[in-house]
Amino acid sequence: MSEGKIAKLHGMLEAKEISCKELAQTYIDASERDNEKLNAYVTMTPEIALNTAEAVDKKIANGEKIGLLEGIPMTLKDNISTDGIKTTCCSKILEDYVPVYDATVWTILKKQNAVLIGKTNMDEFAMGSSCETSVFGGAKNPHNINCVAGGSSGGAASAVGGNIAVYGLGSDTGGSIRQPAGFCGIVGLKPTYGAVSRYGLIAYASSLDQIGPITSSVEDAAAVFDAISEYDEKDSTSQGRKGEPVCGTLKNDIKGMKIGIAHEYLDGVREDVKQSIEKAADVYKSLGAEIVYFDLPALKYALPVYYILACAEASSNLGRYDGIRYGYKAENYRDVNDMIKKTRSRGFGDEVKKRILLGTYVLSAGYYDAYYKKAQNLRGTIVNAFKNAFNICDVILAPTVPMTAFENGRAVSDPVETYLTDICTVPVNIAGLPGISLPCGYDSNGMPIGMQLIGNTFDEAKILNAAWQYENAANVFRPSDFGVKL
Amino acid sequence: MRYEMVAGFETHVELATNTKIFCSCTTQFGGEPNTHCCPICIGLPGTLPKLNKRVVEYAVKAGLATNCEIAEISKMDRKNYCYPDLPKAYQISQYDMPLCKNGYIELSNGRKIRITRIHIEEDAGKLVHSRGNTLVDYNRGGVPLIEIVSEPDIRTVEEAREYVEKLQLIMRYIGVSDCKMQEGSMRCDVNISIRPVGSEELGTRTEIKNMNSINFITKAMEYEFNRQVDVIESGESVVQETLRYDDVSNTTSSMRGKEDANDYRYFRDPDLVTINVSREKVAELKAELPELPFEKQKRYVEEFGLPESDAQLLTKYRKIAEYYEKSIEGTKNPKTAANFIIGQIFRYVDNESEKESFNINVSSESLNELIKLIDSGKIRMNLAKSTLDKMLETGKKLNELISESDMAGLDENAVKELCRQAVESNPNAVNDYKNGKQKAIKSLVGYVMKNSRGKADPMLAERIIGEIIKNS
Amino acid sequence: MVSKEEIMKIAILSKLFVSEEEIDSLTEDMDKIIAFADTINNATDAGTDFDNINNLSDVLRDDVEVPSYDREKILANAKDSADGCFLVKNIMK
Repeated sequence: MSEGKIAKLHGMLEAKEISCKELAQTYIDASERDNEKLNAYVTMTPEIALNTAEAVDKKIANGEKIGLLEGIPMTLKDNISTDGIKTTCCSKILEDYVPVYDATVWTILKKQNAVLIGKTNMDEFAMGSSCETSVFGGAKNPHNINCVAGGSSGGAASAVGGNIAVYGLGSDTGGSIRQPAGFCGIVGLKPTYGAVSRYGLIAYASSLDQIGPITSSVEDAAAVFDAISEYDEKDSTSQGRKGEPVCGTLKNDIKGMKIGIAHEYLDGVREDVKQSIEKAADVYKSLGAEIVYFDLPALKYALPVYYILACAEASSNLGRYDGIRYGYKAENYRDVNDMIKKTRSRGFGDEVKKRILLGTYVLSAGYYDAYYKKAQNLRGTIVNAFKNAFNICDVILAPTVPMTAFENGRAVSDPVETYLTDICTVPVNIAGLPGISLPCGYDSNGMPIGMQLIGNTFDEAKILNAAWQYENAANVFRPSDFGVKL
Repeated sequence: MRYEMVAGFETHVELATNTKIFCSCTTQFGGEPNTHCCPICIGLPGTLPKLNKRVVEYAVKAGLATNCEIAEISKMDRKNYCYPDLPKAYQISQYDMPLCKNGYIELSNGRKIRITRIHIEEDAGKLVHSRGNTLVDYNRGGVPLIEIVSEPDIRTVEEAREYVEKLQLIMRYIGVSDCKMQEGSMRCDVNISIRPVGSEELGTRTEIKNMNSINFITKAMEYEFNRQVDVIESGESVVQETLRYDDVSNTTSSMRGKEDANDYRYFRDPDLVTINVSREKVAELKAELPELPFEKQKRYVEEFGLPESDAQLLTKYRKIAEYYEKSIEGTKNPKTAANFIIGQIFRYVDNESEKESFNINVSSESLNELIKLIDSGKIRMNLAKSTLDKMLETGKKLNELISESDMAGLDENAVKELCRQAVESNPNAVNDYKNGKQKAIKSLVGYVMKNSRGKADPMLAERIIGEIIKNS
Repeated sequence: MVSKEEIMKIAILSKLFVSEEEIDSLTEDMDKIIAFADTINNATDAGTDFDNINNLSDVLRDDVEVPSYDREKILANAKDSADGCFLVKNIMK
């Protein structure tokens, strides 16, 4: 039976087989050792981790009941605001920024005594698919450190895949949780837009951003999702989880469940990836699910629509970095305006600048209708297309990425080609749907292949149920050589 | 050739809510720099706005009070421009779906100044420049504003003045803003052009920005009108530009254009959701609106027979009107109360804010009592007046100042006695009267009144004196 | 085909400098990206009005004051401050 790491460690803590402090120290040591190779962390927080661990040990010593996530070593992506802990978005422009408030997800997990090992590496402002636009250099893939961990939440995936953290929170705007999870052979859940509060998540594209868990098993993903999917009055778009905790239905059988495959998702996908998706379909048949094939023509506009909307919002969201209130500030300037321009020109990396410029362009007078407005209308079309799809199937099965993790520094020079790596993940964000990526095989070089399950809005329970059944039946997970061995 | 002015207003009014439009910081004016701030209103990365319910309600009330249609569906947009007083580099405002549109304000000359739209938005912080340094204070950042945009319907500075004063009056009356121009809670941009009288075309307009005094506005408009006339007369043409008014030199000067031609790149704010004002809500808010000053004024003239000028003085401030209406409840003569308030009580309230709050040590109830005493003939006008003055000075209650006996009045015999004394001790006046000087009798009556401390009935006294003299 | 001039114009709006060295390669990249973005205009589908992702409306806050932050915290991340304000120094003195 596929078991979660969180439940296992929770049991060990309750049974006093290991103290919380020992557990934390083990992960801290492994992290300090392996981070040199993985570059998963950009800030480590051992003191904080050990203090929390002590508190948990006290509770256990007093015979108090502890929650499932209490004392479990975890990480936060470096775009999730943490009061008193540097939060840089892996950008020079926030190199020394220390928030004075907590993101809502961190407030929630703090209350549950989550043991924070550190803040994880990411593409600058979450703009990238390889983690290599990070000012700290890219995180490495635990299955082969010559390959990228993926992006933008590369550090989180590298840390969990390398088992120097049990789980991590990432953010997903166009695939930034699912794609690196896929590349690193682990599980990544992008919740329904609004299921998890965005308050404190440093915005890339507000209408697409969503925080979610990166874990080594489906059960862990379900446990973390249940914990963080709370309504938040600070976020006007927040709704929280609809319905019961997803853990309750995780292991239900899926006889008669309709698994949909849209042909468009397989176009231009590498052969070995396509095959492992078809194998996954067979596994589902063997579990009594029904496979239905259908067309989703609206998908062919998903990628340009995504880049137009994401960059438009980003150009506005990133306007505030002017050196005056926080972050990097240029030294030599003529006047305020000159200071702001120098700060931004020196503080932002090339990819970020490129997206700001594109976003400014598509919103500017004369282009708004042709780009932004048109993209917004096509977004409506894509939303409806998925609505209809879920009239004929319960969940959609698709690849996470058309390929597997590529070598470091090979993030294709052509910007558009690079964007194509997101083709299977962006539709979910455009339509605000939940999507989960989990390992479904390995390529000839032993690099993981990820598959994606997509559900209707607030149907997390369904996709996690389907994901767990596959994970349990196919049992493809391979641990990396890194990290903690318990 | 004769020219006429064509002017329109964009008026920013700060709403008198407790908290800012998107966070729970106070909106109080002033305060130490950056002490009315939180992560949201200084735009820390990751923070999100949450719309203040009362801002929507106040804006709708402002719309209803200016005869606007209230939009059922509305939304917030981002107006993108980078300036140090704007922490997010965009102002959350409303672009193509304002809360209120198509209203008007009627001027005393019967002309209607059309209101194009009223929308809600956030105020910016304040920049202070000293020795080339720029200091930024975000206390004002995020304070809720409504922007009231008028059509270019204004033709004279007098109309401009009345328009602004009326706006101010309305907003104060319905309680959505204190409209203190000196504190910047009401600011006006005026766009102005000229055209030959009789022409229907619009000339090239200039915009005078950010004026916070009605006198400046009218001066600036006069100056700008004459400037444009001179430009045209001298055969040149007016350049469309944004101007600043300098009250010291009483001139307008071009604000040097920011390097970038403005392109605000408006788009819907993805952090905020649709605003839906139900018709029930609109009805509810309409019901909460008080009778507006002009309606009151009209009613005071028609119902109470007050002269226009009195009605205006009594309705200009909501508190005063309320005081007046309480003081005349169940009395016969509303004019008396008006005279008391305007003639005597107003001496105790000097400036605007004192009239605004109208705290005086004679309650409307005791003024009401006093007037009822007059109605019932228990005391005479001049005694009432002097009593009111004493009350205003000492803050003493009515019954502490005049006793029952004061109110009793004098019986006829007592009056006869006093009249006899008057005749005896004023032979000259008596002779004058006998010699046909009708007026002379007044001084004799005066004697009676004086010696009865105002309690005698002067009519009665005059009759008796007349008889005494005739019979002597 | 996007021109250098257009790139310069949007650079100014974006408060970014674009150096002579960068401009050519940047224009080339931007041209590719914009051409790619343009493909949406091949869509025969006029599209559907899109409001907000979950069609939410009227998410409002009560007008209740909460104490503001200590100024120290507000200014904590500022590179320069003076008299309780954020400061942009005049360095041309």
